[in-house]
Amino acid sequence: MNQTAKIKIADVHEFMVRHLADVFDTMLSMKAVPAAPAGTPTFGERVSGSVGFAGETVTGAVYLHLSAPFANRVAAAMLGLPPEEIAGDTDVNDVVGEVTNMLTGGLKSWLCDAGAECAVSTPAIIRGTAFAIESMPDVKRELLVFDSGQDRFIVEVHIKFN
Amino acid sequence: MATKILSVDDSRTIRLIVGKAFRPYDVQLFEAANGEEGLAAAAREKPDLIILDVTMPVMDGVTMLTQLKENAELKAIPVIMLTAESGRDNVLQIAKLGVRDYLVKPFKDAQLIEKAGRIVTLQKKPAAAPATSPAATPAATPEARPAV
Repeated sequence: MNQTAKIKIADVHEFMVRHLADVFDTMLSMKAVPAAPAGTPTFGERVSGSVGFAGETVTGAVYLHLSAPFANRVAAAMLGLPPEEIAGDTDVNDVVGEVTNMLTGGLKSWLCDAGAECAVSTPAIIRGTAFAIESMPDVKRELLVFDSGQDRFIVEVHIKFN
Repeated sequence: MATKILSVDDSRTIRLIVGKAFRPYDVQLFEAANGEEGLAAAAREKPDLIILDVTMPVMDGVTMLTQLKENAELKAIPVIMLTAESGRDNVLQIAKLGVRDYLVKPFKDAQLIEKAGRIVTLQKKPAAAPATSPAATPAATPEARPAV
């Protein structure tokens, strides 16, 4: 039996909930919990990190969507600085890229241990006020909405098993 | 003499976090943004320890480590790999390359200090006296390349 056939999207979801909470707690000293009630936030300016993964039996990408003000607070927390000392978009982009990289690295390891070998890309950042990530045909799209204090944000996992 | 540590990571964020972790210690920190720059910095500075990322553009950490181990002058420098990937195969591959230790992201400062402290001497800096003039302010940690 193909190993990837055993991987269920619900397991990916459950893993990402645990892993994101760990990344936020360890690197940012922030709590992040699944949003209740679930509902996607409306962002003004958005900062989105993306990291792809690809192997013979699995391909996909992880996107982390934060509002610009929350991205600034996340950068401040990661660098141990007051938010007003964050030196512009470069620092924020780098932090959002690194958090996305940690999320994807964890997922990659989990997939590899489940038999779906893959490699990850370096992070990319998208900034804007009105854009959506659309998935390719046959790609499963899992949307995870989290709350961290008063801030709501989204993790999007696109995954295709070959 | 300060312990020389080279941080090789394409993420400025991670280099800053590594720098922050070692700030209380008598450490001279050098930085490089990829494996190619890392090899050059290692040859130039002969650090006591290298903290090396795995996934980087230009030259990744595995390639840098392989080339480091092939260089007679540099192969004895201990390396701690810093990786976002904790999978069994990844860890086994890293172990085979001859690293002294590895640390999986996300990580706490204390974990990095604990692992580095097993390999090199980390001497706490004396507590700074209250600054009475600019001359009394301790110098910033020197870096091989300026922060970008």
